[in-house]
This record gives sequence, C-alpha cells and structure tokens, in this order.
Amino acid sequence: MKNELLFLRELIKLNLASAMEYRVSFISQIVGMFINNGIYFVFWLIFFDKFGAVRGYEIGDIYLLFGIVALGYGLAYMFAANTGPNLAYLIAQGRLDYYLVLPRRLLPHVIFSRMSVSTIGDVTFGLMAYLFTGRFHPIDIMLFLITAVLAGLVLVGFSIINGSLAFFLGNAQQLSQQANGAIVTFALYPHTLFTGWTRLFLFTVIPAGFVGGVPVEVVTGRNPLLLLGLVLVVIAIWSLATAVFYFGLRRYESGSAINVNV
Amino acid sequence: MSKLHTLALKYGAITAINLQNQLAYIWDAFHRAFFIVVVMFIFTQLWTAVFQAQGVAVINGLTLANTIWYFLVAEMIEMGKFRHDLTISEEVKDGSIAYTLVRPYNYLAYHFFNGLGETVVKMGILFVAGSLVCYYYAGPPTAQLSHLPAVFFSLILAILLDFCFLSMIGLLAFVTEDTGSFRLIYQKLIFILGGLLIPIDFLPDWLQTIARALPFAAITYAPAKLFVAFSWAEFGQLLTGQLVWLVLAGGLLYAQYRWAARRLLVNGG
Repeated sequence: MKNELLFLRELIKLNLASAMEYRVSFISQIVGMFINNGIYFVFWLIFFDKFGAVRGYEIGDIYLLFGIVALGYGLAYMFAANTGPNLAYLIAQGRLDYYLVLPRRLLPHVIFSRMSVSTIGDVTFGLMAYLFTGRFHPIDIMLFLITAVLAGLVLVGFSIINGSLAFFLGNAQQLSQQANGAIVTFALYPHTLFTGWTRLFLFTVIPAGFVGGVPVEVVTGRNPLLLLGLVLVVIAIWSLATAVFYFGLRRYESGSAINVNV
Repeated sequence: MSKLHTLALKYGAITAINLQNQLAYIWDAFHRAFFIVVVMFIFTQLWTAVFQAQGVAVINGLTLANTIWYFLVAEMIEMGKFRHDLTISEEVKDGSIAYTLVRPYNYLAYHFFNGLGETVVKMGILFVAGSLVCYYYAGPPTAQLSHLPAVFFSLILAILLDFCFLSMIGLLAFVTEDTGSFRLIYQKLIFILGGLLIPIDFLPDWLQTIARALPFAAITYAPAKLFVAFSWAEFGQLLTGQLVWLVLAGGLLYAQYRWAARRLLVNGG
C-alpha cells in the first residue's frame, strides 16, 4: 500500500512538472477557469440581491456551495483527470495496453496518469469562495475541507463509472462528457429547487446531491450523521466504480496500436 | 446584377455544403440538445421558485412563461452560434491562412456563410429540444406570428455582430499566441451583460444602463426579449443598437483584417 502511494505521489509530481513546462499556457488556463467560475458567482450576487432567499438558500449558502463544489471538482480532476471522457477514449482506442503491461494496480495508475491544469483555478476559487462564507470556526473549516474532498471523490467515482461505459458501448466519450457536465451543473444549483422524481434522480443516476446539497448541509448543520452517510455513499460509489471498471475490463480488446506515452 | 447573382450562388453553395455536413453528423447535434434540455430544466425550476417566492405574476415586465422562453432563445443563440474564431486562429498560427486568402472568395465572407450552414442546424435542433421543456412547464410561447419576421431579422443581426467580434478575436492570433483567453472573457461578458444568465430587465438599474449601452445585449438579449415580449417601440430601440454596433464592429473588423493581410505579406514570401 505504501509502495502504491509513493508511486502515485511520483506520478502526480511528474504530471505537475509536465504541465508547468509551458508556463504561459499553465497560468492562462488557471486564470481562465477562475474567470469562468467568477462570472457565475457574480450572477448569484445579482440574483440574491434582487430576489432574496430561494427555497431556503441564501447567498451565504451559495458561497459555501460554490466553495465545496469548486474545491472538490478541482481536487478531483487535478489528480484524476484520466476519468470520464478521457477514460472512455483510452478504452475505445485500445490504449489501456500501455498500462496493462506495467506491474502496477491498473485503475489508480490509469486515472492518476493525467492532470487537468485548469483545475488549479477551481481549487483557488473554491478556497476563496469559502472565505466569503464567514465561517471561520475550526469545526466549520474542517467540515468544509472534508466534505469538499468527499464531493471530489464522488465526482471521480462517477467519472470512472461513466468512462467505463466504453467497455460496453464502444464510443462513450460524448455520453461520459454529458454525464459529467450534468452532475456539475446540477450540483451548482440549490438542491431544494428539485423535487419528486428529479430529486430521486439527483441522488441516484446523476448523484449531484452528494456533490453539492448534502455537503452544504453537513457544514451548515454540523451534522456528523449526515457526514457518515456521505462517507458511506463515497464507499458505495467507489465500490461500484471499481466493479464496473474491472468487470468491463474483461470485455476490453487491445488496440494493437503502437503508443508512446511520454 | 449578374455579379450579385454569382456571389449569391457562390456563398449560398458554401452555406449549403456545411448544412449538408451538419446533417450528415446529426447525432452530434442531438448530443448538444441533451445539454439544453438539462439547462432549461434547471432554469425552469429556478425561476418557478423565484416567481413563487415573490408571489407575483410579472417581474419587470416579464411573466414566468416569458422568462422561461426568453432563456430558451438566449441559450439557443449562445450554444448554436458558430465558433470560427478557433479556425481563424489556427489558420493564422499554422500559416495556412496564406493559402486560404488566395482562394476565389472573400476570407471573412467564407467563414460567415460556412458558419451559417452550421448554425442553422444547431439552432434549429436546440430550439426544438428546449421547446419540449418550455412547453411542458410554461405552455406555448406568446409570440405572435406577425412579429416573427422582425425577431428573425434581429437574430440575423445578432449572428452578424457576434461574427464580427469572434473574427476580431480570431485575427488577434497575429499578435498573440493564445486567443482563447480573449474568447473566454468575451463569452463571460455575454453571460451577464448579454442577459444569458439573467435577463437584463432583472439587473440593478445602474447595471442595466451599462448593459444596454454595450454590444453584448445586442447579441443575446435583443432577439430573446423581442421573442417573448415584442413591442414596436422596443424593436426600434434594440434594432438601432444592433445596427450601430454592427457598423462599429464591422468597421473595426475591416480595418483589422486589412492590417492583418498586410502583415501576412510582410511575414510571408
């Protein structure tokens, strides 16, 4: 286990070094993502200034929601960007061959082999958004960081599942991209907006509720039971993700392509 | 007259070819339709909650149904417009623009008419897919058939204006390696000042004044607002804004294009 973690640390260091090779692109991607998130932030400021609370959500809750989702998303794809559409691409193109011949655990090796640079902007944005909440009690800060990591784990687990659909469907890149787009889009809106079947959908098929709504309630309510529930959900999603990936792997067909991974 | 006819045939053919290309890959367009369904569903829930919480039927001149259909048109424009700035930027960077410029058509006109073929299919599919959500939650649109030609004219001007701005961003590749950041900023300005995330009528007064004076509203807000709450007075006002900005942006683009073409000759050979 220690050996695996050391390997992953080296992998991440290598990814970061490779991303920083092109400094201007590195910085512009981070700044770009910061602007991207910032504009939605401006929208919510205008929105709450005009309309006040909506279904129990106030501007403070939105700061927290953005903080958790942005930090969780940033951490998730900063380290595990070879998931979702990228994973679907590797599978469909037969590019798992490269990883299969190496003496490392396949799933972690694949998913941690790519870094998304722009997510550093998300991480920075998430931390800054949290500063606006005014929640500086150590318990709140700790719960914020824990729930953001758990939200990130839900995102990665979900991305492994939808990326692994390529084992069964062949070309699943667009489907995977849409699933990932949908979970983040839904997660960034107050979950109280959605009722009935949609709510059920957002806690099962597209588990956006566990990325945004539930983490916010854990922090605002300092609710240990809900936190435990979130941990169990993460375990369940990762178990399912691992099962789907390795079950799908039995159907994997080599691409017989000559790839050079640098 | 015959020259005009030849031009119409030439650029019409360019549009038709890309229209066929888009239809050949129709499933890609349907994938995009999935996203507008998700977005429209979320907007519907959000704005229904707002109108319920406010306990009013009309906010700043817009009903809930107006607001929902407004967002459909605004999103259709944003998601359906063509992104030729990337192509221009790539052509500048890899030098292939030198070959494209000597072909028997106007470089910018080619990009416009080529993009038009793409945008017709994209916007059509986005509108139909999004309409299903809007119709279910808000009923039919209140737009009158007699007003639609005016709305359509405003949409054409919006596409032209957006084309001018994106072309200028693409041509910036002559001076900077990465034009992506300019595009991102332009797109985000449209999100707020163009009324994509929130209708301009709902902005605070001071921001409304700024937004109405800038060109971003002429791209997204104008056709969307005219579609849901048409009045000849507002049509005149918005159309004037669109035409003024079109002349300004068109002039700037022309000057930039001339400058870029000269620069290409200096660098080429």
